[in-house]
Amino acid sequence: MNSLQVQPVARKITGIRWLPPRAGNAYTDTDLYFVSGSSAKHKELVLWTTANPDFQPTDDDKDNDDAESSSPLATLVAKVKHDGDVHDIAAPASDIVATASSFGMISIYNIGHTDNGDSSLSLREAVTAHKFANGEPAVATSLSVQPTNSADAEIASCGEDGRISYAPILRLDALQRHEVDSTVITGVCWPMPTQLAIATRAGQVKLFDRRAPAEVQAVFVDPSNTYEFECIAAHPSQSFRLATGTDTGAVLLWDIRNPKKPAMEAFNVHESNVWSVGFHPSDAAKIVSCSEDASLAVTQWVSDSDRQSRGVRHLSGFFNTLSVNCFDVCPFTRTSIIIAGSDSGNLLMEKTAASDFAIY
Amino acid sequence: MARLGTDKFVVEREKEVATRLSPGVFPTGRQSEWSAQNRTLTHSVHPLTNSVALCVAGKQPREQLKTEIRVYEQDQRIYVCGFGTTPDERLSFINDTHAVFSAIQSIMDARETHVGVDALLRMSALYREAMLRQVRVLQDARDSEFVRSESDVFQAMHAVWHLLEIVYVTTNSGLSASVVPYYMEWLNFNFPAPAAADGERIIGSSPDSNALAQNPDVWPYVQKLALRGHVTTVANMLERIAPAQVLSAAASRWARELAQTARDMPLASSDETSGSFNARWRRWNSGLQSMATNIGSMLDKADDDALSALAMVVDVMRGDADSISRVGDTWQDVLGAVLLYSEPTAQTERLPALAQLVLEQFESDDFTLVDRTLAALVRHELPEFLVYCNQIDAWLSAHVSDLMQHIGILDSCRRVFKVEPREHYLVFLGERYLTHEGLWRVAMDYFGLCRTRVSQNIMGEYIVRMPLESDRKAQQVLRVCERYKLTEAMERVHRQLGRQKWQRGRLGAAIAHFVRVNDSSAVGQICDQLWAEYLASGNLTYGPIIDSVLATSAHDRVRFLTVYRDFHECYKGGEFKRAGKLLLSILVGEIAPSHAVPDLLVDSIPLLEGDALVFGADDTLELMRCAESVAQSLVDSDVCGVGRDELSIFNVACARNLARSYVMQ
Repeated sequence: MNSLQVQPVARKITGIRWLPPRAGNAYTDTDLYFVSGSSAKHKELVLWTTANPDFQPTDDDKDNDDAESSSPLATLVAKVKHDGDVHDIAAPASDIVATASSFGMISIYNIGHTDNGDSSLSLREAVTAHKFANGEPAVATSLSVQPTNSADAEIASCGEDGRISYAPILRLDALQRHEVDSTVITGVCWPMPTQLAIATRAGQVKLFDRRAPAEVQAVFVDPSNTYEFECIAAHPSQSFRLATGTDTGAVLLWDIRNPKKPAMEAFNVHESNVWSVGFHPSDAAKIVSCSEDASLAVTQWVSDSDRQSRGVRHLSGFFNTLSVNCFDVCPFTRTSIIIAGSDSGNLLMEKTAASDFAIY
Repeated sequence: MARLGTDKFVVEREKEVATRLSPGVFPTGRQSEWSAQNRTLTHSVHPLTNSVALCVAGKQPREQLKTEIRVYEQDQRIYVCGFGTTPDERLSFINDTHAVFSAIQSIMDARETHVGVDALLRMSALYREAMLRQVRVLQDARDSEFVRSESDVFQAMHAVWHLLEIVYVTTNSGLSASVVPYYMEWLNFNFPAPAAADGERIIGSSPDSNALAQNPDVWPYVQKLALRGHVTTVANMLERIAPAQVLSAAASRWARELAQTARDMPLASSDETSGSFNARWRRWNSGLQSMATNIGSMLDKADDDALSALAMVVDVMRGDADSISRVGDTWQDVLGAVLLYSEPTAQTERLPALAQLVLEQFESDDFTLVDRTLAALVRHELPEFLVYCNQIDAWLSAHVSDLMQHIGILDSCRRVFKVEPREHYLVFLGERYLTHEGLWRVAMDYFGLCRTRVSQNIMGEYIVRMPLESDRKAQQVLRVCERYKLTEAMERVHRQLGRQKWQRGRLGAAIAHFVRVNDSSAVGQICDQLWAEYLASGNLTYGPIIDSVLATSAHDRVRFLTVYRDFHECYKGGEFKRAGKLLLSILVGEIAPSHAVPDLLVDSIPLLEGDALVFGADDTLELMRCAESVAQSLVDSDVCGVGRDELSIFNVACARNLARSYVMQ
């Protein structure tokens, strides 16, 4: 079991996301930014910065390592109160983040940078996207931004009211709601710009065509098990591959090329609910997941004949005993940096120097 | 919590908590007037946190009063007062120590027979690190009264924990090590003296040895150094003073001599037998003894201030109890010097007797809480020690009693306490943690890892009162129930969730929860609601709701709704034979509620009257039997939506179909 670096922040962190680089160009930012969201007593959105490890001297000196471990992992840049617990964060651009809150709201925050190096977070717009039939607000459990480069990209969010809401980032008030499930929708992702996939508490994956949002295109279940799904993620390039996390601690990998008979493989990597799952952005042969059992897991699901065999690498920290709620892998650096947040009130981080590019 | 029988014992006092309402409910000093106007206060305690809701109430209902009473704005306020809450500043400390606490429990589970002292020592050191980290964080924080008192608490906790670790873990590891070096380390770490700044000040203000020898502070400083066993510093100071012209020749010579002796003080090392160390020690000590005699005889002849101060240093170092008491300000100091200079190989067992001798010299009324706690610890008076720990902080008593349990010394307390001490203090701490919204999970671990029946029950009562704000929180609560095997609480949580979902109109999810706890009446009611909605609207829209819970449910009503939905689909698709079979299976299997049967019978009319023969003779007879029982119930009550006319049409259709079936067969 590998150890994570831990930075106590005294907040229950329930959402975390890297911001795209400000320069707009991957390998030139010396400082990386990410946003974390917290729940319970302190409902906040916090902007952090950390040095880009690609530009750090790569001395393997022991002394150097010690110096590094004593300095904080990330420095707080700005923070702002959030309306409700933060359940998910998306970062469509380097100056915009979208959040899903426990009050059923989708909020857009602007990040401003001034010339003298100060940064600010400010609420631009918020809309109630999820509520129950009796008028109570329903928790917005997850949200995902349409993977297009056009300016009118949409945010899809899902909630405990069984609805999916679509709203253009620039005009949240043009929100559309569609009731598509009778249980809780726990996760949402876009395999393609026109296709949306959701995971539900009843253990179903449902596909939708954005052009016919009220109709279910296909439903996938694992008939041999009674799983409940907690999260879903799409492969970065192969739109037919999906990963879901279950309440029993398994990560399921789906191949839905044949919608009548999808292929599915289960990896039992955790002991309890898998709260978030995702393909590694720079090495999609790995799936990263985090769980209630206070650990992160990196699962190698493709057996690569010469280099790596299939297997799981677990990451945890001694001072982190409670649920790891969220994580994000930085897609913009050569060094793989995973940041995560937990119920123990810790920021967790792991940096691994990039193995040689898998392309060769 | 009065429960201590022994007479010298202090009954545990809860710290009093007072909250002043602002703005108040009545003007200051006018309470009797306020009370005379039929007013009083009423309150309700929050089920989870230490907070109380408070408002003004009437002694009698207003309607029963003869005179009209004016209502003021402050009568309509509700005050929420919190007490004994957990401050945010402690969060990371709590999380860190929670990790250590959980680790200790699992280590102890893994090796039930043998207590691993090394492992415990490591964990104990982690606790101490967390405390020191917290002290450092507090030092960096902005100065305020709160920060100062927190800082005091954490320093006190560290001192207590460190000594506990030395007395019961480090020196109890079976190596028969002497407690002395550990005690001195503890003393100098937690109560550093003399302050390094004092030494710098003395040397700074006295540039040469003459000035130094004339400095009034220098001799008390050297005596303090000797008392604390800083012998090298003593030697350095003496060598600085010795060349002074103002000193007498004798004082100067003895100062040099003592400096050399101090440097030669024997130190115990692990590769030396205690016999050989004792021999070295006796030699060194007798050197000091003869030095004391020589200086004493000189002092008899002539007065020499410097020499008599020097004599005091020698007396301290040769272990003279009176001199040590005269130089030492606190009992910790004195005990340290007694241990160091007269019993350098003392083991833990000697501590209570030595401590008793030392403590007798001090007025115990002047003791602070920390003094009393430490004194109880060195005297091995554990019940008293635990009570004092709890007065310092709830964290301390909980973790101390846990550690004592693991090293097997809690039994002495069990005879004194009326409750199980570890359980009591852990639960107390858990309840304290519950007052913070973000610590519920930590609190549950403290209840759960306590592992007694009482704590289990307390936990069960708390967990069903956890607010279930989100689906994820509900999952976490259920996981806790699962982990600590709280089956009953789990069922209650499921029921609660079912009801919550039902109220919000999420019928599918509600069914799923009620099915988990086999609450068939609730499932039945929800299904009836779905059926009623179908009858009212004529649209069969419950399909997706049922589908999602099918996998988990074997309830009759859910099956009825599913089969009925299938029947509709078959009928729409023109598969009349299959549709007929499905309909009949509902009626024969009696999975439908009785109020739905007439509607089902009416649904069969188009099949009976259709072109193709759907129901055979036996099937038709079965339908007629059902109709008969419905007719019977219709006589009893006429609440059903299906009227007699429709039933008579059904009868005619049945008769025709029966005839047709006989002909066809």
